[in-house]
Amino acid sequence: MAELDDELATIVEIDTHLDPTGVQIVILAGELDSSNAASLQERMVAITAQHPQRLIFDLTGLRFMDSAGIAVLINTATQVDSVSVRSPSPIIRRVLETTGLSSVLVIEP
Amino acid sequence: MSSGAVSAMRTGSRYGVGEGLEQDATSPAELSIPVGRWRPSRAAALALLVGLAVTAALALTSLGLYDRNENRLLGLRARELGLVLTAAVPSIQTPLASAAELADATGGDPQRFRAFMSSYVGPRRQFTSASLWPLGTSTLAPSLVVGRPPALASSQQRARALFTRAVHTKLLDVTGVLGTANASLGYEYSTPGLKRGFAVYAESPLPKDRRSRLSSDSAFSDLNYALYLGHSHRYDELLVTNMRRFPVRGRQASDVVPFGDNAFTVVVTPNGSLGGAFFQSLPWIIGIAGVLITLTAALMTDRLTRRRLYAEQLVGVLDRVAEENREMYTEQRSIAQTLQHALLPEALPEFAGLQVGARYVPAASGIDVGGDWYDIVAAGEGQVLAMIGDVSGHGLRAATTMASLRHAALAYAAQDHSPSSVLAKLADFVNSAPHDYFATMLCMLVDVGAHRLTVASAGHIAPLLIDGADSEGRFVQLDVNVPIGVIRESPYHEATVSVGPNSTLIAFTDGLVERRGEILDTGLDRLRDAATSQGLSLEDLMAKLAHDLTSEEHRDDTAIVGIRWQS
Repeated sequence: MAELDDELATIVEIDTHLDPTGVQIVILAGELDSSNAASLQERMVAITAQHPQRLIFDLTGLRFMDSAGIAVLINTATQVDSVSVRSPSPIIRRVLETTGLSSVLVIEP
Repeated sequence: MSSGAVSAMRTGSRYGVGEGLEQDATSPAELSIPVGRWRPSRAAALALLVGLAVTAALALTSLGLYDRNENRLLGLRARELGLVLTAAVPSIQTPLASAAELADATGGDPQRFRAFMSSYVGPRRQFTSASLWPLGTSTLAPSLVVGRPPALASSQQRARALFTRAVHTKLLDVTGVLGTANASLGYEYSTPGLKRGFAVYAESPLPKDRRSRLSSDSAFSDLNYALYLGHSHRYDELLVTNMRRFPVRGRQASDVVPFGDNAFTVVVTPNGSLGGAFFQSLPWIIGIAGVLITLTAALMTDRLTRRRLYAEQLVGVLDRVAEENREMYTEQRSIAQTLQHALLPEALPEFAGLQVGARYVPAASGIDVGGDWYDIVAAGEGQVLAMIGDVSGHGLRAATTMASLRHAALAYAAQDHSPSSVLAKLADFVNSAPHDYFATMLCMLVDVGAHRLTVASAGHIAPLLIDGADSEGRFVQLDVNVPIGVIRESPYHEATVSVGPNSTLIAFTDGLVERRGEILDTGLDRLRDAATSQGLSLEDLMAKLAHDLTSEEHRDDTAIVGIRWQS
């Protein structure tokens, strides 16, 4: 059973800060999937409670994201007026495109 | 399947789905620690025995040493007392010897004799009586008496025996104990030599009942003593003692002191411990301490042994629990799959001119149900509506959400066959209430006779269309609109394509093509290559895709829907 956990456990690193212009930046790195999306969701609830005007997910270091991760992004997008996704990897960019989310989340190169 | 959900199901498993199914025979409560009958472990019993044996040996050795030491000390004390007595003998002999010489020299002058002896006779002096006896006369009687009349004078026979004996010895002669009530001891001395005109006789009183205590500050206050005349320990020869019980028992030592022609025998017993109270109690101290230490050691040994036993049992129980967990995991996995199948269509309807098929492949590991679903229903004359969708997340919540979406979609499909309006209505339905999930969904209207396909996508990957019997597959070109559940005013668009005879349509969820660390297009290419197979029946093609494209490591569940025009 322990091997199962080791095999399935994935790690996402979450780093948040406000940039000088007051934009909320959320930097994600590692792999975001259903095993750890809940921890990101908790952080996002706390952040959206501050009612930021603009929020950017920086996905430069994110290697993988599944539908659970996308759900967190979408939930955030419903709480904040402007949500952008910055520097997604081609893999993740493709996922966002095939999920029809490019109209919901602004994808910055 | 998510590891978080797996562990959640696992930790909750004892109260979860599995519990009602089978009352497991072995539970951790079986770990048995005997409570009622306590029996010491073998190691503890051994420790107890060895400890007690060592303690007994030490205590006995200590006792033996103490005993030997006490005997030795008592022997030394008896010898010391004997030396003291030896030193006292001259205090009797010297005055008598001097008086005898004086009498011989003065021819028995009464004045001189009385003047000499009177300082030795009287209360609290050596003698109670001193007398001068002329020798060689027919009747034996004292010619002069100082102090009390001698007790010897009352027994002519005894006096004769004494003085007859005196003629042959050169020493002080000692009578036996004289009298009973006020017993005394008599001594005779006559100057050795040929003349032997006079003998000097004196008597000393014995204490009342022969009893005399030693003063507490005496050097011998740690002893009880008995002083006998002669070499015997006979009671009638007892001169003085502070003991009450005769014959003397227990530890004792004796010494013999020569006294004139006779001797004193002194017998001593200890009045307490000569070596000190500590050495007397040492065997007990060793014994008690040894027993305590032994008991403690035995108890600790027992405890350690028991702990080891407990740990071993615990390991056994943990093994069993792990085994149970494995079984439960397998069991719950099958339950999850059963549930998933229950939420999906039992059987697909049959349609004229159209072959349909569907597959559901659960994630390779994990016990969670997924959120994938599909439906194929008739939609009016010659038309079929096929739907496939995927609710984000896993677990019972995703499954129940899926079930409600599926039934809502079926209801909307019954009202209106347009794929885009089914999606729009479903989106409104979901967005009408707070929710934290979303679903991708593909809605496809198949016109059998017209060979036409109308598709709308809510965030779902476009289906693969293999036009004709042996053409290469292509993914249907369409606008992918936002997933169901994303609150955003956004219309759903339809795309309509014509399909050739015997075309095959494959719609699927992302589990079939998505691999970690791989761009989606690679998975799509893999699917297209696999689906472009010569001459496979729809059933065989679906089986091949389900088998070949879902690896053993796939973490996501997968649904596949296949539709083939029969002409």
